[in-house]
Amino acid sequence: MSAVFVILRAGPLDPVAAILGQRQNPVLAHQIRLQLGIIRPDGSPVPLWEQYLEFMWGLITLEFGQSWVISRGTPVMDLIVARAPITIWLGFWSVMIALLIGIPLGFYAGLNPNTSSDYLASFGGIVWRAMPNFWLAIILSSVLVSSQFFTESLFGVALSWREWLWDTGVIGGPPLDNLADPEQLFAAIKWIMPAAIVLGSSSMGNEMRIGRTAVLETINSNYIETARAKGLTGRVIVWKHVFRNALIPLVPIISGEAFLLVGGSVLVELVFGINGLGKLTFDAISSADLTMAGGILFIFAVFLQIMNIIQDFLYTLIDPRIGYEQ
Amino acid sequence: MSKTVTQTKSLGERILAQPGPALVWVLGLLLLCALEMGAIAEMTVAIVGGLASSFAAVATAVLGGPVMPSIAGTIAGGLESATTIAAGLPDLVSRSVIPNQGYQTPDGVWHGTFLGLEPKYAWLLRVALVYGYIFVFLWWLWRGYRAYVDHYRTADWTPRDDMVRRLRSHSWGKFGLVVVICFVGMAMFAPTISPSTGEQNMYNMNAYDIQYYNSDAGSVEEISVLQANFQSASQGSGSQNVGLWQYDDFDRFHPFGTLTSPGQDLFTFMAYGARISLLVGSVAIGIALALAAGLGMITAYYKGLADLTVVFVSDTIQSLPSLLVLMLASMVFSHHWLGKIYNGGLLLAVMFGIVYFPNMWRSIRGPALQVAEEEWVDAAKSYGQRSSTTMRKHMLPYILGYLLIYGSMSIGGVIIGTAGLTFLGFGINPPIPEWGRAISMGQAYVTTPAWHISLLPGLLIVVVVTGFNALGDGIRDAMDPESEGEDTSAGVGATGGGA
Repeated sequence: MSAVFVILRAGPLDPVAAILGQRQNPVLAHQIRLQLGIIRPDGSPVPLWEQYLEFMWGLITLEFGQSWVISRGTPVMDLIVARAPITIWLGFWSVMIALLIGIPLGFYAGLNPNTSSDYLASFGGIVWRAMPNFWLAIILSSVLVSSQFFTESLFGVALSWREWLWDTGVIGGPPLDNLADPEQLFAAIKWIMPAAIVLGSSSMGNEMRIGRTAVLETINSNYIETARAKGLTGRVIVWKHVFRNALIPLVPIISGEAFLLVGGSVLVELVFGINGLGKLTFDAISSADLTMAGGILFIFAVFLQIMNIIQDFLYTLIDPRIGYEQ
Repeated sequence: MSKTVTQTKSLGERILAQPGPALVWVLGLLLLCALEMGAIAEMTVAIVGGLASSFAAVATAVLGGPVMPSIAGTIAGGLESATTIAAGLPDLVSRSVIPNQGYQTPDGVWHGTFLGLEPKYAWLLRVALVYGYIFVFLWWLWRGYRAYVDHYRTADWTPRDDMVRRLRSHSWGKFGLVVVICFVGMAMFAPTISPSTGEQNMYNMNAYDIQYYNSDAGSVEEISVLQANFQSASQGSGSQNVGLWQYDDFDRFHPFGTLTSPGQDLFTFMAYGARISLLVGSVAIGIALALAAGLGMITAYYKGLADLTVVFVSDTIQSLPSLLVLMLASMVFSHHWLGKIYNGGLLLAVMFGIVYFPNMWRSIRGPALQVAEEEWVDAAKSYGQRSSTTMRKHMLPYILGYLLIYGSMSIGGVIIGTAGLTFLGFGINPPIPEWGRAISMGQAYVTTPAWHISLLPGLLIVVVVTGFNALGDGIRDAMDPESEGEDTSAGVGATGGGA
């Protein structure tokens, strides 16, 4: 976070100029500087180290100050809290997609190595991983928006994604205030699905590749042979011995998804027009709203640290050999 | 070692003893270079010119003062004369040998193209010639290596022979190598293989005129490229669209179609965009690798405090979401001189290098620690060899291969990241072409007849990134057959996706 401070305060960008834009007004500029804590009331500049202490203290107490440009005067924290739910919803489903599609596919490929379906899955995983998120988002959203036209020309049946099963939009985010109602819940899931697929795509490819390798490795190990020798059925071997051990190398990939999600959410939310944290980050950075950007970066960093802790915790849960005693 | 083995001669002596194969090879190399003299000279001038002008820009920005313009003027003058000299040199695969820009009169005859061929075929011929030249050149280099191995190397066998053999039988790795060569060739020969030049197509459209046959007036007329581009832009509707493999109204051939207004040729855009992608990617990876290798050896050699410091620094960098930091940095520096060099390219490359190094350092740390424990390092230490010499001579060769693997696997991430940032409007600023900008231009036209604008750059990114990953896989399997199947790339931050 200190690095962020350096970029924000000691960098070449003048926050006052960013706030005022074209309208230069010495009196106003003075007021803003005062408000930001850059100068003292008598006009002398506050030394950088004092600014730094104040900045760090603000981070610890979650007091990020007020937004400068996007919404003048609103505390940064309020904006973040208001935008967070839709991003969490998106992130949750993209993780689910990656887990529920990537891992089973990878395990399937690992259990049937060197078959044509294995090659198909592996190749798909490699290519899937190399796809830029934002490009996939553009293609998918555009195709879905005019899905009616495509299905009609391809299959002869006009099937609109917008009206399919539940009536939702393609662009934008679903309302999340009434999830208890199953109808609303499913509509919200369907609405977020394309964006979640895009966001989850790269980690999905990863999980598939790692899952395949992990299964291949476990299946060739001695204890599996022993289990087979004592006459365990294939199903028990797979579920009890292979599955659990193959999960271990997947843990860092799953928690590493958090990094992909944070970066990817900016691009995906922008393309899909979802008004979440990613969009807020983009707006904050492109309009030089530095307190806002700093606050969001801090929240993201904290989130990533929490994910790291959860990862270590998961390790001990899945693999009892790993402990904190050593 | 050479003191103990008496029969060892230097390479020069060995060649003198048997000059035949070496002579043939050198002659062939000279012939190949002579064919391309003009391009080589032009490229040198271009690189020197780019560096000089950016230094001049920096110097002007930093120092200011009246001295700078005159120096810049001198540089520019010198460069201009160098360019003219370079242009005069023979050049087999240049545009001027096989021109593809011309016009067709109603009788079906093409004017101005190579042998009166249709521009399509003239262009294809040129592309084939360029790639043929590239592959012949590389094949000749390979032959040189084989000649060295067969005739001049004293050892019958080295571990590298096995590596080469494994790489040669690794079809996935070879696929990657071919893709990478095609991509690098596209970047290097961008002015030659693109249907129109970058100068004419992007940077200075108004300064060039083209001839075309006006069927209404029934005569050959001239129009500025800017005007022509505006009229051949792809806007998505049927009448206003130049798609794949089509000619526009001015008889110009567009293999990938045109962009939205002004309708530049997409292939030219992509070819020049490959340059910046490759440049940013390789500079970033170079910085990251240098940092990772240097710090990796230092931490493995000294351990203790040095190790802890680097762990702390890399943890700090890794705890930040890299894409957001990059966005922030390119925003903050957008009006700073650092952000102006190469329209933001240098800043981006440096930032990517810094952001990517912790991951690589972590991957290299294991092997580096391993080699630091070896007896030969201990022996070198006790002989009183300087620590920097020990690192360079006894540790670096061991981790060099790992660097190659991680470099190849991470460059895809940089290419995607650059495209993503440019797509967002940060990153590389116009007029320098970048693939991400083409994608964002075509965003609104994906389901219209102008789908090529977004789709093709994205597909090309996928192919190139897959190619780099495959090459990395191949090198890894070649170096360490034990690791076959293990997924190193996941350890190196999963090239791709993130952006």
